[in-house]
Amino acid sequence: MATQGESTHSCWSCGAMRAAHFCEACGKVQPPAPADYFAFFGLPRKLNLDVAALEKDFYELSRKLHPDLNARTDKREQEWSLEQSSLLNDAYRTLKDPIRRTQYLLQLEGVELEEQSKAATEKARATGEAKKQIVPPDLLEEVFDLNMQLEELRMHKKMGEDDPALIEEIGRQKLELEEKRQALLNELQADWKTWDGLIGREQAGQLVSEDERKQARDKMVDLLNRRNYIRNLVRDVNEALEN
Amino acid sequence: MSYSDKVIDHYNNPRNVGSMDKSSADVGTGLVGAPECGDVMKLQIKVNPATNVIEEAKFKTFGCGSAIASSSLATEWVKGKTVDEALSIKNMDIVKELSLPPVKIHCSVLAEDAIRAAIGDWKKKQESAKPVAVEAR
Ligand code: FES
Repeated sequence: MATQGESTHSCWSCGAMRAAHFCEACGKVQPPAPADYFAFFGLPRKLNLDVAALEKDFYELSRKLHPDLNARTDKREQEWSLEQSSLLNDAYRTLKDPIRRTQYLLQLEGVELEEQSKAATEKARATGEAKKQIVPPDLLEEVFDLNMQLEELRMHKKMGEDDPALIEEIGRQKLELEEKRQALLNELQADWKTWDGLIGREQAGQLVSEDERKQARDKMVDLLNRRNYIRNLVRDVNEALEN
Repeated sequence: MSYSDKVIDHYNNPRNVGSMDKSSADVGTGLVGAPECGDVMKLQIKVNPATNVIEEAKFKTFGCGSAIASSSLATEWVKGKTVDEALSIKNMDIVKELSLPPVKIHCSVLAEDAIRAAIGDWKKKQESAKPVAVEAR
């Protein structure tokens, strides 16, 4: 897997045709080629990926690219292996995590989450209408209400009071939140499938319209937005219950 | 990250924290969120029906210090303004006043959104209260 991709260049040291990261013939580390994290591992931009295989590749590459390998006598090669190693670490950390992988792909595809929100604000200004909220209003209500309860709980605790009913209520909401979080992950898997299907068709030489791509992207953006709120709530609920 | 003195001041002594009766005809409520970070902000205004002046403003924000400061400042600014004047407040005005760094700009956007949402809610109430459109648009 790791040896696919850019094998069109020749090795700076022995002149043989090389793989992306090190020469297949003499094993020397090559200067890092500008590549995204998927390409770094020789992967297509698909989201459903074999994490076990990725891990295996990661360890193998780590070993081969390691800057401390004593065979590295050339100073340039030392530097390159340092650069490649840090690139490798970033790429691995990003790709192995489902959420970060999705965020990264969207970013590669030119989606700027922050920009979206700003654009919506600008539109609201121009039209004089209220901004269309990016997440459903009832989710915002829920987030707000639960936060109010958490605040109450914190206050009670600070004053040394016990409020079993409130704790129980928050505990119940916590379970619901965890279910929601799981549901989001399942939904994400479905969105991945849609996206990967498009990439698969492209790989097979079929035409995929920008509209289709955009639809698949928008679904993931929407999901990630909702997820941020759920993530914060889970974090805050746990904190409030523990302390 | 270091906050400016003004942010810290608003954060430690937030102005106008609280809430008003959501169902009152004179009250407009805006509940908005920043999807980037998952923070939420509620801002309410109470408008004098005769003059369209915002007489009271309250907020409650669950979010970072900049968001709290931005909404606190926003309630101060809208008070005493007419609804239309309040609509001219831009997030960049807040950024300047509080010297927010670029990564905190979205927190000020949240405050502008909240003002706009609250006013929008209030306007909707007025329109449904008086079937004869008073406002020429
Ligand atoms: S970090 Fe999100 S509102 Fe400030």
